Amino acid sequence: MTVSRLPSAAAPPHNPAYTQLVAERNRFTVIMTVTFLVLYFLLPILAGYNKPLMATKVFGNVTFGYVFAFAEFAMGWIMAAIYVVKARTFDRLAREATQ
Amino acid sequence: MTFLLAAVIVAITLGVTFWASRRNTSASDFYVAGGRISAGQNGIAIAGDYMSAASFLGITGLIALNGYDGFMYSVGWFIAYLTVLFIVAEPLRNLGKYTLADMLVYRLKDPRVRTYAAISTIVVSAFYMIAQVVGAGSLISLLSGGVLTPSVAIPLVGVLMIIYVVVGGMLATTWVQIIKAVLLMFATIVMTVLILNAFGWSFSNLLGNVERLNGQEFLGAGVKYKNPIDLISLSLALVLGTAGLPHILVRFYTVPTAQDARKSVVWAMVLIGAFYVMTAFLGNAANVLVGREAIAAANAAGNMAAPLLAQELFGGAGTVGGEFGLAFVTAVAFATILAVVAGLTIAASTSFTHDIYKGVIRKGQATEREEFRVARLATVAVGIIAIGLGLLAQSQNVAFLVALAFAIAASSNLPVILFTLFWRKFNATGAIWGIVGGILTCLALIAVSPNIMGVDPPEKTTGRRPIQAQALFPLENPGIVSIPAGFAFAALGTLIGARRRRDEEDQAFEEMQFRAYTGAGVDGTVAAHD
Repeated sequence: MTVSRLPSAAAPPHNPAYTQLVAERNRFTVIMTVTFLVLYFLLPILAGYNKPLMATKVFGNVTFGYVFAFAEFAMGWIMAAIYVVKARTFDRLAREATQ
Repeated sequence: MTFLLAAVIVAITLGVTFWASRRNTSASDFYVAGGRISAGQNGIAIAGDYMSAASFLGITGLIALNGYDGFMYSVGWFIAYLTVLFIVAEPLRNLGKYTLADMLVYRLKDPRVRTYAAISTIVVSAFYMIAQVVGAGSLISLLSGGVLTPSVAIPLVGVLMIIYVVVGGMLATTWVQIIKAVLLMFATIVMTVLILNAFGWSFSNLLGNVERLNGQEFLGAGVKYKNPIDLISLSLALVLGTAGLPHILVRFYTVPTAQDARKSVVWAMVLIGAFYVMTAFLGNAANVLVGREAIAAANAAGNMAAPLLAQELFGGAGTVGGEFGLAFVTAVAFATILAVVAGLTIAASTSFTHDIYKGVIRKGQATEREEFRVARLATVAVGIIAIGLGLLAQSQNVAFLVALAFAIAASSNLPVILFTLFWRKFNATGAIWGIVGGILTCLALIAVSPNIMGVDPPEKTTGRRPIQAQALFPLENPGIVSIPAGFAFAALGTLIGARRRRDEEDQAFEEMQFRAYTGAGVDGTVAAHD
């Protein structure tokens, strides 16, 4: 693998594909990051401030705390999967932007 | 039997190392395996790098001794990969060559930034490494029944990891991590199946037994963490720290393209997630089948919970199966420590050689061959220093060193990475202020925290805190203060440095952004799809 510098005299090309890539990617990153941070921090916040809720049994002896924690894992995998699908659009736009 | 299995694992990994040595012939091979690792291999290696003994032995023990609170570590460490996936993995691959400093200097065009980024890399790696080496020493001593004292075990681990890295470079390190990740997953899956079998395939039934033996509070939060702010601060460091850990970042340079970097994070998330879900079964089963008293008697921090659980699951103490289970899990834990320490060593020695020796001391003039030689010498030096510091710190509590490494990474590296990628006005002064301010704030807060300061009862003779006075800062993990401080320092430095701002900086930002988003200029990325 080699890394070459872009010809620095020329400004990078500004085409519609690139503009669209930057806008879409930034919007996606911000929305997803804020969503997962909010959902994730609910766990330590509830664990700190609402201990009775965390210890409430939901199925058999399985408490809300465990259900919520397992749901966080599901959330992580689902959000990663969404990103993988969405990244195909980003890859296509990146190809167009550099042509 | 433990020694036999550990010897087999060491023999296999050394074999791989000598095989890899034939392809470890240049600085690029040494640093990043020539950028030839596939996404799948890299994903498993990331998982192998990440699931340290602190995860496998530590979390199992925490859940066994404290119930639900221990499991919150699992969630935080897993979710951290979303930060890595969404924000850092692909742009870093697109911009970087070998180290974090390469990426920062590419945008900021100031050689001073290279020095500071390298210092930050070495500081974070060192804290993480000392913790692993000390943990390795006490663990191996514990598992060998005291035959190998920490003073013997620490140099043993150190020498093995020097051999892996010096002889085999990144390729061997990657394969050691892959072998270890596969062994660890295998051991964890087998144990989980045996646990489910023992408890009628019902997690509820397992928790019912935990409740019967320990009381209802073990199924909910609060046994270990009484102060909510402490918990939130720790969570912040866990979820943001991973994206700044040098030994994780260096793994994105071992794959050819940004797409491969993304795929490797997804692979890692599948494995790491499955592993951390299973810690809930392992920890709770250890609590029921081994018992809190027996676990705490073997090691007060709970580090023996997983090996003792394996012994119980395979037939119990004294049976052939039980001894095999104990030996196998012990050997896996040993492989885990070797793999993680090798990964840290390569990150630290790469940063020293490539950034400080070649970039700063030789001003970029070193030949590839010379750089390769220095990289191997640096590895030996890093290894010897790690052994030395490990021996000095062997009686200290190591858990806070790991959390501290995460907190430093989140406070110094993450603000600088984010601002470099997304803030047009960001400049070299901001990067230096951010790195130095983040590290110093973190270290200062730790120095006056309950980790270091506190009044121990007089009857406590071992593990006393170094400063016997009331702690000035109440939280064990400084993240909630030091991470915003890191961002604030980086922003403040940027504003102060702005007077010397040059016109070409705007153009540098545009160029950097174009490459970060599209991957243009990295061979094999965009061109390969045309």
